[in-house]
Order: sequence, then structure tokens, then C-alpha cells
Amino acid sequence: MATKSPLKVASQTASSAVSTARDWTHETMIAGRPVIWYVTGWRFAIITLIVGVLLPLVPYSAYPDIQSLLVALTSVFIYVMLALGLNVVVGYAGLLDLGYVAFYVIGAYTMASGTFGSLLNFNEKPFSIPTFPFALLLLAGALIAGIFGILLGAPTLRLRGDYLAIVTLGFGEIVPIVFQHIPTFYGSLGMTSTPPPPVNTPFGLLSFTDPLNNAPFYYMALLFAVLVAIGSFALRNSSIGRAWVAIREDETAAESSGVNLVRTKLLAYALGAFVGGVAGVMQAAFVPSVNPVNFQFQISITILAMVVLGGLGSIAGVILGAMILQFLYVYVLQRINDPIHASFLVASNGAPLHFLSNVDFSSLNYLIFGILLVIMILLRPQGLIPDARRKRELKGEGAAQEGVSAIGLLEQEEAGIGIGAAADSLDETEYSGAGSDAQGREG
Amino acid sequence: MLTLATVMTHAAISPLGFFFQQIEIGITRGAMYALIALGYTLVYGIIELINFAHGDICMWATIVTLAVVQTMGITAPPNPIALVGLLVLLLVIGMTVSATLNVTIERFFYKPLRKAPRLAPLIAAIGVSLILEEVAALWRGRSFVGFPSIFPDVGISIGSVRIALLDVVIVVVSLALMYALDYFIRHTRMGKAMRATAQDPEAAALMGVNINRTISTTFIIGGALAGAAGVFYNLYIQQVWYFTGFQLGLIAFTAAVLGGIGNIYGAVLGGFLIGLIESLAIAYVPNGFAFSDAIVFAILVLILVVRPSGLLGQQTPNKV
Repeated sequence: MATKSPLKVASQTASSAVSTARDWTHETMIAGRPVIWYVTGWRFAIITLIVGVLLPLVPYSAYPDIQSLLVALTSVFIYVMLALGLNVVVGYAGLLDLGYVAFYVIGAYTMASGTFGSLLNFNEKPFSIPTFPFALLLLAGALIAGIFGILLGAPTLRLRGDYLAIVTLGFGEIVPIVFQHIPTFYGSLGMTSTPPPPVNTPFGLLSFTDPLNNAPFYYMALLFAVLVAIGSFALRNSSIGRAWVAIREDETAAESSGVNLVRTKLLAYALGAFVGGVAGVMQAAFVPSVNPVNFQFQISITILAMVVLGGLGSIAGVILGAMILQFLYVYVLQRINDPIHASFLVASNGAPLHFLSNVDFSSLNYLIFGILLVIMILLRPQGLIPDARRKRELKGEGAAQEGVSAIGLLEQEEAGIGIGAAADSLDETEYSGAGSDAQGREG
Repeated sequence: MLTLATVMTHAAISPLGFFFQQIEIGITRGAMYALIALGYTLVYGIIELINFAHGDICMWATIVTLAVVQTMGITAPPNPIALVGLLVLLLVIGMTVSATLNVTIERFFYKPLRKAPRLAPLIAAIGVSLILEEVAALWRGRSFVGFPSIFPDVGISIGSVRIALLDVVIVVVSLALMYALDYFIRHTRMGKAMRATAQDPEAAALMGVNINRTISTTFIIGGALAGAAGVFYNLYIQQVWYFTGFQLGLIAFTAAVLGGIGNIYGAVLGGFLIGLIESLAIAYVPNGFAFSDAIVFAILVLILVVRPSGLLGQQTPNKV
């Protein structure tokens, strides 16, 4: 580490082919281009969007499971929103939030309460019941969640990272418990919400409740996920986004450089919570039932796993991470259980052949998420698609001189721990994480 | 005042007796929380990691000792001599399982991240916690499994307060373990190394302390104490559940923070206090059982906001 001079590093990284070829996203070629070419910037967005927009047009005859696929993908888009929202808090501002589910549940209950839903009147409830307009409920859910984000953030601002994580975790636990035990919200019975009424469009009347055509809701979720992604993108490059990164890298230095810690952190919380609230309203309208048991701690961890898997702070990465994990859970795992049991684990007379016969493969998701979390942190802390800011550093374009690491949260050695930490920090920012094994080879 | 006293003497269970019964329950639970909190505080004191998987380490002691008891086919209390032997056996197995698990996890998942920023090992610990829970769920399923009543239901009554022998055993053995830990840390070479490492790992290394061995020992001790707590939990609550560790861990972490994380006396004090607060909250707060977790968390948030260093901890300035 110490033998690498910054100058030498810069000269090596200047030829980007040498410095970036260590990555599977650069090594694996698809149609003559490396994977990274497809999954960065506008190309990734456009490719994903085109596929996403065209997918509902796939006819039943071509893929009989298309409607369940759309349902699964609607849920995937809701989780893309959640992951992008958490990414603002954890990836941009570096505040580890383990209770993100709280904002999700607040949004969901706003939707359910706003449509006067309860399980008790589920059967009698006509869909003509007057409710608040969906757009208003979306806004209300988001704003209420955002306010709670500030309420949670305000007293915890002075806390260090790991303490903050535990406090947010406590908040995430308390909120569902409160909903579970307040009679207004029908306790552990939960509530049902009324889905948005049909919309008259140039393409005809679009119903959000037709089980044979899930495309309207699918498109709505896609639209909102795209809006959140665009918002994330705009925020990242704004002055507030740079202030978040500054806080993430070094709070004390950021404060002495004139960043208002209180306002900047609170804004991160509020915006993250805002997005969580939108996702909650969408979820409640989509399912359309809300129950406290569906908003447990594991949801927070699932969203965190999505962010860590994709790459903290990386928009494309977080979207990819959310899509992989949620699709795995709501579609793949739900579908492999019966075939696996039928073909491998149960004899034709129904007797179990193997101890795995008793395993419900559709419930393996948390085990998989846990393993992924550990593997990613140990082997690839920068995520599947590292943040673009880090890429710029590797190319030596300016950012490296500022000593800004892309994923400081996970990669940069905390200043002041080691004796020589300050002296090494310049090398550290450029070559930590995945860079370290490359160092071994090069040096 | 006089009327109040009259009411107390005439009630079937006097309010005062009810109160002291809650205190008795609180102390017993507090002993278990203190044992787990010690593991949090030892690990945090030495490598500044919130060992998120610590509660699940304790859960694994409950699940393994349940398997042992089931394998031995014990469903009712044995005779007193056999009971003592059985308790010792369960404690040894539970403590060994937890200590081994804890030190193995440290070696493979936390040690490679020792130089990483502090949130990296925390996220790894969260992942490990999920893995431990889910593997336990694969083994024993996701519903509660009853632990047989192997401890005879005997005890003494003082007024209307009943003190079960089991509660006495739990508290006494817990206190003995805590005393042993205190002695170990204060009077042995390894204890001295642990204190030195907690103060300044690099300076300790320069003085010849084997940092890796010291950290491993810390994890072994913390795991063993959690294992003992797991065995007591089995005897006391008599329910084994894959998700027990999450709740136990959070309560114990709150206890460690309440006492001042990094301070072993603080962890013991915090453990007993949280036990008392919890049992009193369940008894006196309306719908207290449902809200007991929320109350514990609210306390945690309150301490961290008002006095992050805890009751016995020292205020540390932000390192630059």
C-alpha cells in the first residue's frame, strides 16, 4: 500500500483499459461490448425501459404465465423504489438505516386509512365508496412518511453510524407494533384498501383491479420507479448530493467546509422516507391489504441487501440489486418449490426421499439474502455495479485528487483509526476494496 | 396512607406483593439479559463492533440444548442429583456451542473486515444473523417448540411473593459467571491483554499483546455467556424459536447501551434494569405485554439521544 505513489497510480489508471479490466463487468462481453457498457448511464436506463414497456404486450399464447409475471414485476418495481429511497440515506449520505420499513408501513396505512378500508367490511365494500383521490393519497402518504423521517432523524443526528443503525432499527420495530395495537387501524387484523378507480384513457377504460390484465398497475409502478430513479440521478449531481457525499466521507471535514450537517442529514432522511411512503401507498393499493405482520424487520434488511448487492450509491446498481432479489423472491423461488419437490425430493408415492423434502424453497429468500450480504461485504463491497463516481476516480479525472472515494461507507478506512491512516488515505481511496487484489497481482 | 395499607392487607394478592413479584421476575429475566449484554459490551469494547448476530448465538444454544434433552428422552424432572448433573451438562454444551459458533464467525466473517470502515462488519453481522436464524428455521421449523419441564416446580413463598428455586439458580449461577468474568479480566494475563486491546489495539500490539488471540478469546467468553443465558432461557421460558435471538439480542443490546457500552459493570447493571423495567411495564402499563418491546426500544432511543455514553460509560469525543 505504502509503496504505491499517487503518481504511479494515476499513470496506471489513466489508461482505463488496464485499470478497469479487473472487473467481470468489463471482462464479460455481450455482442462485442463489455457488460459495463450496457449497465451504465442512459444505455442501461433505455434498455431496461424498452423491455419494461414492451413486456405487457407479450401475448398469453407466447408466455402463459405473463400475468403472474406482471404481478411479480409490479412488486419488483415497488422494491426498486424502496431500494432507491434507502440508497439516498445509506448510499449517498452514509447513514445506515435499519428501520426503513417504518416509512413503507406508514405509507401503506395512509393508503388504507384514506380509502376507509378495514378487513371487517371487506365483503360489503362497494368500489363506488367515496375515497380520497389516489394522487392525493400518494402525496399524503409520502408527506406523512417524510415528516416521520424528520421526526426520527432530528433526535438521532448526533449519533455515530452504528448507534444510529440501532436507533433506526428500534423505530422500524416500534411503528408496526404501534399499528398492530391501535384499534383505529384494526390491530393485527390489518386493513384493506380500495384500489384506485378505473381511469379513462385514449386506450380505453383501464381498471386497476382486473386480475386478467395487470398491465395498468404494472405501468403505474414502472412509471413511479422511473420517476424515483430520475430523481435519484438529479439529486446525486446536485449541490445537496455532493453535500451528502461529503458527510459520508468525513463528517467533521464536511462541517468545517461549511456543510450544514443538520439540514443535510434531515433532508436525506426526509427524502428517503418520502420515497418509502410512496412505495407504501403503491403497495397498499396493489395488494390491497395491509397487515402489520407483513412489515417486519426483515423487509428493512431485504432492502438493505438490495442496496449493498447493487452497489451503495450506484443508481443502476441499486435498481439491478432490487430487481434481482425481489424477482428471485416473488417469482423464481415461488415457482421452483413444487418442481424441485416433484422431480427430486419426493418419491412417486409421495414419501419424502431426502431431508430437503421438508424444505420450503419459497421461504429460502432470507437465507439467500443473508448469504449475499455476507459475501458481498467480504468479497465485493462496492457492489455489482460500482458507483460512477468511483469509476471516474479510476480514470483519474479530477475526483481522485479530491480524495473522494465512491463507496467511502464501505471501503475507506475510517480516518484516525490507524497511525498512518492519514498518510495512506490517498492511496487507500483509489485502491481499496476490489482494487486490493489487483494490487497483489500488479505489485 | 392508612387506607392504602388497609387495602393492601385485605386484597387476595396485595398490590405490594404483586409489585415485589414483578421485581422477582424482573431480576430473573435481568440476569439472563445481563449475561447476553456482557457479550455485546465485551465485543464492542474491544473491536467497536455491534455484534448483531449475538442474540442468534444465544438462540443456537437454546436450539442445541433442546436437541440434547430430546435425544436423552428427558421429559420430566429427574431426581435431584441427576438434575444437577443434567444442568451442568446442558450449561457445558450450551456454552461450548455458543462460544465455538461465535469465535468461528469472528474468524471467518469479522476478522477480514477488521480494517474496513465500521459499518462493513456491522452489515456482515446482520447477514450472519439472518443466516443463523434461517438455518435454525430449516432445522426446527418456524413455530415454537416446547422445551420439556426438566426443572421441578418448587420454591418458597414470602407473603404472597413466590420465589421459585429455578429463579434462584438462574440468578446465582449468572452472578457466579459474572464474578468469574470480572476476576478473569482483572487478574489474569489474558484479561490484562483484553483491557489493553480495548484501550488501544496498536499500542497493545506494540507491547507484545497477541491481538488476534485476544479478540478470539473475547468472542469465546461472550459466546459462552450467551450460551449460559440460552440454557436459562430454555429452563425459564420453555419455548424454543428460531427468531428468539433477534428480540433477546435487541433487549440485551439496549441493556448494554443503558449501562454504557464497553463497560462490563454497566452491562450487568443495564441487564437487571431492563429486566425490571420490562416486567414492571408488562404489569402496570395498559396492554403492556404488547408494548413491552416498544417500551424497551423507546428507552434505547431515549438513552442514546440524552446520554449516549450510558449510565456508567465515559463520554468519548468524536475522533477526527
